Amino acid sequence: MAVLLAPAVVLVLGVIAYPLALAVRYTLSDATIGEDGQWVGLQQYAFLARDPEYRAALSHTVIYTGLSLVLKLSLGTAVAVALAAPFRGRRPVYALLMLPLLFPVVMDSIAWYFLFSTVHGAFNEGLIALGVLRQPYAFTGSGGSALLVLVAINVWHGTPLVVMLALAGLQSVPRDVLDSARVDGARALARFRHIQLPSLIAPLALAALLGILGTFGDYAIVHLVTAGGPGGETHIVSSLAFAEALRGGSLATGIAMALAVVPAYLVALVLVMRLVLRP
Amino acid sequence: MSRALSGVRVLVLTAAVALSLLPFYWMALVALSAGDDQITLGNPWILNRPPYLGNFGDLLNSPEFARWMVNTLLVTVGTVLVALAASLTAAYAISQLGRRSARTLVTVLLATYAFPQTVLALPLLVMVSRLHVADTVWALLLAYPGLVIPFGTWALWRLLSREPVRELLDQARIEGAHGLDMLLRIVLPLARPALAALAIFGVAVVFNDYLYLYVLVTGDQATTVMGAAQSTTVDVENPGFRFAAMLLGAGPIALLCAWFVERYARELA
Repeated sequence: MAVLLAPAVVLVLGVIAYPLALAVRYTLSDATIGEDGQWVGLQQYAFLARDPEYRAALSHTVIYTGLSLVLKLSLGTAVAVALAAPFRGRRPVYALLMLPLLFPVVMDSIAWYFLFSTVHGAFNEGLIALGVLRQPYAFTGSGGSALLVLVAINVWHGTPLVVMLALAGLQSVPRDVLDSARVDGARALARFRHIQLPSLIAPLALAALLGILGTFGDYAIVHLVTAGGPGGETHIVSSLAFAEALRGGSLATGIAMALAVVPAYLVALVLVMRLVLRP
Repeated sequence: MSRALSGVRVLVLTAAVALSLLPFYWMALVALSAGDDQITLGNPWILNRPPYLGNFGDLLNSPEFARWMVNTLLVTVGTVLVALAASLTAAYAISQLGRRSARTLVTVLLATYAFPQTVLALPLLVMVSRLHVADTVWALLLAYPGLVIPFGTWALWRLLSREPVRELLDQARIEGAHGLDMLLRIVLPLARPALAALAIFGVAVVFNDYLYLYVLVTGDQATTVMGAAQSTTVDVENPGFRFAAMLLGAGPIALLCAWFVERYARELA
């Protein structure tokens, strides 16, 4: 048995537990890139508690994650319900809807960057041609609208996962249960609420968890589209942590920034797993 | 009533498909244009000149693109194979444990997902440097399976602990199957559809990673087509080549996986 377990345990713990231990050690020092630094105890965390930039990044993370999540869950459920009953050409439609999930996020983020560009960007040119705008609007020029751009890209990228999980949940409802409800005169909304919705709770909880964890790591979208700008107004914790560690060189501070939020993610993970793992 | 509803359905699905395809459509327009015309002049929503296939021709003659693709395939196939083998053996071992210890082990594995790559990436770089594999495909092959295995083990463990499956395994054991024989002849065929689903998950993990790629592989020699897309911020003089590389480099694999998602997603639900 131990032999069978070993590869998984070594590969998972080796690339997670060991780096994690290193990470924790770094955050208790004043290490910079290339310098192991001195032991400083909890000073990095004390600094973060007072750092306005970090607090701003925390609130951006909550807004970015929360808003994206609400949109992904509602849009994903709507699309899943629309896909639930069979129709001709359903398989290619489903496949095309999955593409944003499977196409590398680095690549589509670069495309979105150009689409939202102020200089000859497709959205600006389109809105000008339609007469909605008179001159190009700088979508990523102010914090609020730049954050919305990031949310839009995140939603585009993450909705297919919700569709996939929600649809699997919907399909666990036997077709004849839905049909007999229809025959008995239950309206579409009532059928959804009383028959389909209960089958969606576990998959949507799982989708929410994956969305929350995934959005934290959504460094690519932020890094490539706004780089945290303008003026740090779209930095989320992971992008700020990375900017601090890699470009600012403050390895210890950067890693502490990311590590400080882990307890919140662990709690979310355990809560959702209990719901999903329920026998 | 039902006619109106199907109208809404058509509308929802049409809008969803159009939005899904929008960035790909735009990338295709740029990939089919020479120079930087498409991103600087004319209507960005349509092709302003007859399609130009030169970018794709250049790609097929480019030793760089060939290298990116070899690296991409090595890393993707390697990650998937290692992760599936490790997940299957682990799931089988765990399914033989008592219910309580099984759940604890699986929960510990899954809890690793709460530690974001942002925390782990830089220490991982220190680790792969010590192992002298920084800036090689080995660094990625070391880092990626760990992202697939926890979910893979959980999903396969759930499959193997279903009542009918348990009975089948018990029956095989009574008939004398054990060890590797049991794993290859009984468990593997049972798990095949779930393994296909996990393979798609593995591809999605590799394709959507940015941080590990960015930190662990800095040079052009060992990078994948994803790394190549971000390494030089898009060449604004000749963006067509780079977008053609993205579409041709990742598009077919992404489409192939997308085609099979639904068929196999149910295995993991």
